[in-house]
Amino acid sequence: MELLVALGKIYSAKELVPIGSAHLSGVSYKTIGDGGLDFLNEMSSDAKVSVRTTLNPAGMDLDRWSEMGVKPEFANKQRAIIGAYGRLGVETNCTCTPYLTGNAPKPGQNVAWAESSALSFVNSVLGARTNREGGPGALAAAIIGKTPLYGLHLDENRVPSVIIEADVNDEITDYSLLGHAVGQKVGMSVPYFKGIRPTVDGLKTMAAAMAATGSVALFHVEGITPGANKFDLNGLEKISIGKKEISRAKDSLTTGKDPDLIALGCPHLSETEVTDLASMLDGKKKRSDAPEVWFCTSRTVKTWCPKEVAVLERFGRVLCDTCMIVAPIEGIHSCTATNSAKACTYLPGLCSQKVVCDSSAHLLEAVF
Amino acid sequence: MRGRGISRGKASGNLIILEKPFSFLGGVDPKTGRLTVASGVEGKNIRNSIFAFPYGRGSTVGSYTLLQMKKEKTIPAAIINEKAETIVATGAVMAGVPMIDSIDLRMLCDGDEVVIDGEEGTLELPHVNEINVVTCILRHGGKILILKRSQKVSTNQGMWAGVSGYIEEGESPLQAANKEVSEETAITDFHLIKSGEALRVRSGSRLWCIHPFLFESSSPEVTIDWEHTDYRWIDPNDIDDATTVPGFRLVLRNLL
Repeated sequence: MELLVALGKIYSAKELVPIGSAHLSGVSYKTIGDGGLDFLNEMSSDAKVSVRTTLNPAGMDLDRWSEMGVKPEFANKQRAIIGAYGRLGVETNCTCTPYLTGNAPKPGQNVAWAESSALSFVNSVLGARTNREGGPGALAAAIIGKTPLYGLHLDENRVPSVIIEADVNDEITDYSLLGHAVGQKVGMSVPYFKGIRPTVDGLKTMAAAMAATGSVALFHVEGITPGANKFDLNGLEKISIGKKEISRAKDSLTTGKDPDLIALGCPHLSETEVTDLASMLDGKKKRSDAPEVWFCTSRTVKTWCPKEVAVLERFGRVLCDTCMIVAPIEGIHSCTATNSAKACTYLPGLCSQKVVCDSSAHLLEAVF
Repeated sequence: MRGRGISRGKASGNLIILEKPFSFLGGVDPKTGRLTVASGVEGKNIRNSIFAFPYGRGSTVGSYTLLQMKKEKTIPAAIINEKAETIVATGAVMAGVPMIDSIDLRMLCDGDEVVIDGEEGTLELPHVNEINVVTCILRHGGKILILKRSQKVSTNQGMWAGVSGYIEEGESPLQAANKEVSEETAITDFHLIKSGEALRVRSGSRLWCIHPFLFESSSPEVTIDWEHTDYRWIDPNDIDDATTVPGFRLVLRNLL
């Protein structure tokens, strides 16, 4: 409560508004450490969330952690963190895409979401309203069921502030790289995209990349996102991003070669993506010298498509509850390849990895 | 300097400034306080420093990173932002790190010793001298007067500037401006058109606080003194052709 009032004061919020749901980041033992665990243990001794609250990925697949190379001490701490969230009443299905598996806010609904990619998605694509909450801020809001009314909860702060004229290939990695370039250029603005028609998966990866290099929490796409046609765009600054910028971004993110891990699923793979990857690999034979492959997704999506999962399992591991960023892969792997610009942004600093950035189709050529 | 208080508490220490937005998740190793390659300035240690960056970017887990740094005793003594966003602000409040924002980071230099008050939102630079000066633009027939500083003056020798000088103790900025115009140009018939808000320009251990004035002169006749070697009346749009003292273009933009 103290924290919410402090934040409200900073942003001169006049009141607290009820929220429909919350989503929390700060789950992996790797990222929150003992400081975070102590805090959560303390909170869970006498508090409970009062709205539906979901959880971000943890540092390991809760069932298959030893296969990932995770040490037992880490696993114990990780389970203690999940336990504390459970006592707080939080759903412990750990994913960064809860909006694909049941926790999808309604248009116009006020919510308090952390996880920069997910909150940008629900703001932009679903038309819900959330600020860029930090993990503890979202937890505090989930407990009292309210959040300070400021920022992106208010109409006046949701209008576009810059136009992005984009010309990119209709491909997941290109949308990711577009997000990367835009996040770098626009920082805290609200970009309005013209010239692209991304699918849900394109929007998901774009949102993630933009929030990693910048702090974009809301964007609009002409003809796609709700209410995009109602804005007055006169006089806004225009930035063009074309194939040249995309290939430059890709080159700048690639710092290694011969990856020993190919990791897909940042953000977590959707049902469509799992299906597409399975049809790409179906009928192929795995090479003997293939690097390890991780397909990171939510436990829900994994149970939705058992056949496709069986195909993917012949080439790698379909992991739930976790991803390449928040798992302790440093010391286990040294060069990771991925199709996600967000992952490429965090892998060097957070996981001490060299990085290869390319489309999943190109990357998977190394396994068959 | 006055900004906005975000997280309570007082602290002092040496500044580490990043030019780019920063993510606590991944940007720093919480075990040691060392900045990682992702911060753009790998290897610097922010433990006990006053840590300044434009604004927080990236992961919403950054708030927890600050808690972890507190536990590991690697946390900065205070945080300064140009524009605070929720994630860093939340982390600062929870970890009890003093934090202020709305500070122009261009006024600060890496290594500066600073004193922060997170309640008042203030920042002091005890070893930086604030020097109050006037800069006067004289206008005649749409042209402005610029003067070339001689080798005998103490700063910015050989550069072009307006009429300028220190504000002496007990003198108001306007009094100083009137005096300097008379001394440096020998123009007697001039009147005030506009005075601008004071501008700050940082240069080494000095923080110049420039009080800008625009005067209309009834005559183009100028007699320079020892402080200058040359003068010109120029179209304000041609200012880019001259090598001018720091902040001069800002003054012009402020007045014209």
